[in-house]
Amino acid sequence: MSIPIKSIPIQNVSQKSPLSLEANDWKALDDIKEWSQFSQSVNKEDTQWESHIVIEGMHCAACAFKVENTLKPLPGVVEVSVNATSGHAKIIWQSNLIKPSLWASGIYKAGYQAFPASDLLHQDERKKNQRQALWRLLVAGFCMMQVMMFSVPTYMAIPGEMTSNMKGLMEWASWVITLPVMLFSCGPFFKSALNDLKTKQISMDMPVSLGILIMFIVSTAATFDPNGLLGKEVYFDSLTMFVFFLLTGRWIELKMRDKTAGALDVLMRRMPRIVSRVNPDGSIEKIPANLLQVGDTVEVKPGEAFPADGEIVMGSTNADEALLTGESAAIRKSIHAKIIAGSFNLTNPVHMRVELVGQETRYAKIVHLMEKASTDKPRLALMADRIAKHFLWIVILLALSVGIYFWQFDHAKAIVAAVAVLIVTCPCALSLATPAAMLSMSGFLARQGILVQKMQALEALTQINTVVFDKTGTLTNDQIFIEKIFTNKKITEKEALVIASSLSASSLHPVSKAFMNAGEIDTSLKIEKIEEVSGGGLLAKTSLGVFKLGSLAFCGLKDNEFDHLKEEQLQVHLMHDDNWVASFMMTESIKEDALQSIKKLKQHHLNIEILSGDKLSSVKKVADQLSIQNIKGQCSPEDKLRHIQLLQSQHSKVLMVGDGLNDGPVLAFAHASIALGQGAPLSQAQSDFIILKGELRLIPQLIEEAKRTMKIIKQNLVWAALYNLICIPLAVMGFLPAWLAGLGMALSSLLVILNAARLAF
Amino acid sequence: MDILYLLVPFSVILVLVILVGLWWAVHSGQFEDTEKEGERILHDD
Repeated sequence: MSIPIKSIPIQNVSQKSPLSLEANDWKALDDIKEWSQFSQSVNKEDTQWESHIVIEGMHCAACAFKVENTLKPLPGVVEVSVNATSGHAKIIWQSNLIKPSLWASGIYKAGYQAFPASDLLHQDERKKNQRQALWRLLVAGFCMMQVMMFSVPTYMAIPGEMTSNMKGLMEWASWVITLPVMLFSCGPFFKSALNDLKTKQISMDMPVSLGILIMFIVSTAATFDPNGLLGKEVYFDSLTMFVFFLLTGRWIELKMRDKTAGALDVLMRRMPRIVSRVNPDGSIEKIPANLLQVGDTVEVKPGEAFPADGEIVMGSTNADEALLTGESAAIRKSIHAKIIAGSFNLTNPVHMRVELVGQETRYAKIVHLMEKASTDKPRLALMADRIAKHFLWIVILLALSVGIYFWQFDHAKAIVAAVAVLIVTCPCALSLATPAAMLSMSGFLARQGILVQKMQALEALTQINTVVFDKTGTLTNDQIFIEKIFTNKKITEKEALVIASSLSASSLHPVSKAFMNAGEIDTSLKIEKIEEVSGGGLLAKTSLGVFKLGSLAFCGLKDNEFDHLKEEQLQVHLMHDDNWVASFMMTESIKEDALQSIKKLKQHHLNIEILSGDKLSSVKKVADQLSIQNIKGQCSPEDKLRHIQLLQSQHSKVLMVGDGLNDGPVLAFAHASIALGQGAPLSQAQSDFIILKGELRLIPQLIEEAKRTMKIIKQNLVWAALYNLICIPLAVMGFLPAWLAGLGMALSSLLVILNAARLAF
Repeated sequence: MDILYLLVPFSVILVLVILVGLWWAVHSGQFEDTEKEGERILHDD
């Protein structure tokens, strides 16, 4: 089925699916011309490259470590970081020492597949993976139901009611139906257990695979040779149910992961590939976007995305920057207005002069920073994985010693006792404890308006000690409002407001919206002509004369003319025929639930900070009202990231709450992160939780719920351990009949799931 | 109850047939976009 990729450039292969990339195929990518498809040069001499690839076959953090450990010792590999959740990996390598095919073959040796992260390849691979996962789940689910149909009669029958022939037939039927589960559904467990064996690193899949295999072998033996060494009990029903539960958890997780991966891909692909360049002679030429140079002029039609950062040189239009800033209203862009690459042109064709292209654009830089941050994210060790290692060794040692002990007296009894230990200790309850609780909580939180994107973050959330907030849009509302009005005493404050509102009616600027919200419109004021000057204000010719509404400079005022003009606050002034009429002091409104939420967070002994791109004075104003002491203003995305890294190096566990594109890298890097629902989708894609309606009061609640989840997980783990503690000695001494062991196993799993279900209420 | 000796093997075969059907459905993309197909009838093309 696979199509050899050798001499074909990556981007042309995308239509031909399905794809598979073998270690050898990577040789085609050793050519320097191909590198830019998935890499970028780190230094000026082009000797060091940073490649982004997708690794298939990883299930957990242990796998990520495995890939890192295989690649790091290779000569020429400078840095490797693998993100287990997204399957992305970043590799920095020296082109004079190593070629992509060499490090790629390292990944194959570790038991995984690697793909260059050009988005189309990625998508095909993801689709294939999704189909496989669904197929495994459906097989396990369907076969589980059928096996149950054959098991129930044997449970219900009064002894003697069912002939041994009939029982044998039922067991045989169960065996046939369990086969597809073993062949198709259990693949991922066995594969990763085999990898564990090869690399001598243990994850939860190892005890799980061992349990499944032992159960299947014992049941098979019992089916075909009921009088044999391994007893006459079958466990097909427990086995299929266990596999189905585990796969359901993995399937839901894969779904959640894909949703965000998909969102990111859409954003990456929105940049146009072909642009219309305006030549100096006025002719328009279509060129590939990567040939665009600084200083070029391009024409952008309505409905197209702007290909670069720049400035409008001809025409005016409305732009949609929602994906980047979260601002849902269209933004008026007239001549000389700044354009951000990736925003959409909505209404009119315009010409723009290109100032920054490709990787230099603000958009690309932030996306790059965000990708880097998500792979550099510090991991908090998960409880279940820590337990898995010890658990496995204890179980194997115990089974062995029991077997050896009984071997001296009775060979048959030795095998039965060892098998009983292995079956009793099948880590069903243990491996279901964490995912069941997290899934149940995710469902509960979704009803409260919080989307959980990374379930592990629930555990991380209970370990944080610092909460860092962004200001604009997070602690404050997007809108600004009028705090105070100064007038020249000839008119009242209300009259000034009515005039200002009437002038603003046609404008979409946020300040205009503040006037519209505050005052009524006077319809008797006839506006003959109105002009919006970008970065200045409104100039209107009306039946009552010429009005100006706008900034200090636009109105021609000097800041020493009146006392209130000196204040460091957003101000808008109203002029009538060049005479000052009124000044409006604007302020940001703090969200209603902000103060209460911060108070609650402080009760949890959390350290609260504000990191903002805004001026320090306006940050301080908000911070004072919320009594937050640690604040930082005028931060670029890089500054924010550096500050978080500093906090983390001082052993702070950070929860970041933000909404804008500027917060994206920090959201990706913090131990746990919350994005607010009305924010930029790019930031949402990188956060652990999304609060859909942006209510801050949900943050303390989320932390409490996370703690509740951990409590349940701990209960579950204790229960699983307790069950094993009680049953193992019984099994060792031979007091535990096999059917009771099977029943106990099913009941302990059920108890774990029911206990987890309590979270949903 | 002798009929069970026929019906049980028959049901096993039926399960296998249904599994083949499921395999086809999953791998031909029947579950890929469950919303779009439902809405398709509402759009003329």
